[in-house]
Amino acid sequence: MNILGISAHYHDSAAALVIDGIPVCAVQEERLSRHKGDAAFPLLAIESCLEQAGIEPDVLDAIVFYERPMLKFDRILTCALRSFPRSWRAFPKAMKNSLGEKVWVRGIISSHLGVPASKILFTEHHQSHAAAAFLTAPTRRAAILTTDAVGEWATLSVGDGERMANGSTTIRSLREIRFPHSLGMLYSTFTAYLGFKVNEDEYKVMGLAGYGRPSLIEQVRKLIRRTQDGAFALDLNYFEFHTTAERSYSSRFIELFGPPRGPGEAIDLDTAEGQRFADCAASVQRVLEDTLVEIARSLHQETGLSDLCLGGGVALNGVANARLLAESGFERVFVPPAPGDAGCAVGAALYADRIWFKNPDRDVPDHPFWGPSLEQSELARLAHEDGHVVEEFDDGALIEHVAGDLAAGRIVGWMDGALEFGPRALGHRSILAAPHTVEMRDRLNREIKYREAFRPFAPVAPVESAARYFDLPPGGARLARFMSGVFPVRREWQPRLEAITHVDGTARLQALERPMAPRLYALLEAYGRRSGMPVLLNTSFNLAGEPIVNRAVEGYSTFLRCGIDVLVAGQARVTKRALPEARTPMEKARREVA
Amino acid sequence: MDSARSQERATAFDRMLTPLHRWIWSDVGRRVQKLFRFGETETDGGRDILRAAELTTDPLLRRLYLEHAIDEFRHGVMFHRRAAALLNTVPSHSHLSFQGAWLAPGGHGLDDLQVDDESDETMLAFLHLSEKAAASRFTVYRDVMQHDPSTRAVFEEILHDETFHMNYTLTQLARVAPEDHRRHLWRARFSRLWKGYLRLATALAGVFGSVLLTIQYFILLPPFACLARRAERHEPSGWIRTSSERSGLLNRQY
Repeated sequence: MNILGISAHYHDSAAALVIDGIPVCAVQEERLSRHKGDAAFPLLAIESCLEQAGIEPDVLDAIVFYERPMLKFDRILTCALRSFPRSWRAFPKAMKNSLGEKVWVRGIISSHLGVPASKILFTEHHQSHAAAAFLTAPTRRAAILTTDAVGEWATLSVGDGERMANGSTTIRSLREIRFPHSLGMLYSTFTAYLGFKVNEDEYKVMGLAGYGRPSLIEQVRKLIRRTQDGAFALDLNYFEFHTTAERSYSSRFIELFGPPRGPGEAIDLDTAEGQRFADCAASVQRVLEDTLVEIARSLHQETGLSDLCLGGGVALNGVANARLLAESGFERVFVPPAPGDAGCAVGAALYADRIWFKNPDRDVPDHPFWGPSLEQSELARLAHEDGHVVEEFDDGALIEHVAGDLAAGRIVGWMDGALEFGPRALGHRSILAAPHTVEMRDRLNREIKYREAFRPFAPVAPVESAARYFDLPPGGARLARFMSGVFPVRREWQPRLEAITHVDGTARLQALERPMAPRLYALLEAYGRRSGMPVLLNTSFNLAGEPIVNRAVEGYSTFLRCGIDVLVAGQARVTKRALPEARTPMEKARREVA
Repeated sequence: MDSARSQERATAFDRMLTPLHRWIWSDVGRRVQKLFRFGETETDGGRDILRAAELTTDPLLRRLYLEHAIDEFRHGVMFHRRAAALLNTVPSHSHLSFQGAWLAPGGHGLDDLQVDDESDETMLAFLHLSEKAAASRFTVYRDVMQHDPSTRAVFEEILHDETFHMNYTLTQLARVAPEDHRRHLWRARFSRLWKGYLRLATALAGVFGSVLLTIQYFILLPPFACLARRAERHEPSGWIRTSSERSGLLNRQY
């Protein structure tokens, strides 16, 4: 049975193809269109999935959209009515937006793919999140907690799932919290207040929180009160996201926290103003964590289960995830590599397969590499054309050369196999560097990532030796499989892991098992033999404001535009040693035409 | 090759608008907003040209596009830095309701060009005309910026690059399409005109739609708003039990 899952029209569109119960491809539209956070209908992603599987749209048995468009429209219209007449500015925009495209999803899919409307199905947004979290996790029975900004109405839901011995599967939603009461919106409101982009820069708030003290926690608690039944409710006097599209927070919010940071203003943590912003971030982060831990603890007591599957955009908050593991009572916490809306494409397709069509349960391979594969020869051809030094090696020699590069302080662009699905670079499209010094961190920020100095870099280490360098609680290695948890760096190793140790002594570790990315694992071993420490800095292979690279040519153009010293794609290794010669034709051309 | 010689010369239309531009750029707050927006436009344009570099099969064009894209990214940073520096001089309570965005547009961006679907010839012709238009506008902006030497210097430096971009795109167009490069230029001109018309028509339709929807909002919605508010008062706060009956059906959108 061939089932296509689609998520689109909000942010980070994606498509995923499930054949006979197993995902065969999943890719975000942004990786192919090269527009970060592309929310357009994911035609390129769909084409890529179908091409990878070698099938045409007419052999699809079902196409599943990740949410119910009319239920979402119901929420938008109801909110406009409830906030009459304050919503008069937002209303025309919201209606044009919804009625222009978003409610006609069935027709759009049908016309784009040429399939009958009867084949098009709809899951609920949080059902998709729940399925993406539970059906891809190596667990038979688990509690499920999904939380994000908003789907149709739900903003947080709890339930459980079971994969039974007879092959049947159940996913049960027990209860939910509805818009406008939303942990995701609370966090996004602070993201906007701190001058970052909503739905994109929430992780910057988490990074900034490390520099602050939760001294404004009482003020944040005025925004969100706990209800008697253990849920929460926002005090809407402090917010405007439910009435206007222009601003998330109200004047009362500004009275409580002070003037917001303008988008162009730098955050100087040495000033009182900079520290106030960091304290705001630390305070909302603490409240988010506390609320999630209490809800999860109660869910654990209610279900008595030992595993928890987390879904929704809030599950990208690694600090909160680590606290959930430590304090909620669950022994294992599973977060998929794409817990956000992109991952709903996989979730929707798997939900339809297991629950709607009642197909027998299958184990889903436990890795994030569902995207298009790397074309091995492309890099060598491009680099030859431009006169760069290209060397091609067998695997063993290549690994030794790259380990030597890293040990010599060079920064390596590393491309290998199929593209990751989700926001993290987990070893197939990564920038790798030695993790030992602050100078390396500063160089990466200055010459490659061009980003704020307060944002930390992540490490990758073999799972077997991760606990030597990082303080991993039981279940921590699992959470670190897809870089979903933030853990303390052991004090004795912090001086040798300066580039990846955040100001609060933590790091967002990837604990790598050999079968998941054997070449990166071999590189860690080879680097460990040289440096005495099999740990590398692993950051996503992209520049600020751009999506992670997909094809070799995108890695190559990124390599040429920044301070990466060595580029590896497949068996080819390119260095910039010949840069002056390589630039000659360009300089010549420039002189000719100038 | 006439276009190449017209470097750093504003078109008659842009020159005619000089008083308007002088007024728009005279206010510091407006200048900050515009420079931030120009920064974003240049960066977006840079990304599109980078995409063209990644897609072309012509090695020389790849290198030139790449150089061009790097210039655009640098321009984005220059605009952004200048805007950030000016921001410190603007009173924090200053708020401008009129930005004059459509009266004083920024760099070329790439309008609605779908880079992935274009040939090298079309891309070069389009880039050439865009750079030429941007150079013409930036010449006027530079000239009206006598009261702000730092911002003027930014335009001055960017204009220098735009001249190179304008020239290389024309030279390369003549190389890749020696027989019919003029035809490509004319097609690109008509295409820009057509897209300009479409943008204008879409914007007008948008305004018309907004007016109609706003009228409906105030005429039709009040009774429903009352009902919605009354229903809201009866809604329980906290957890809400989910209905398995509703969520179990995948063939409905509601």
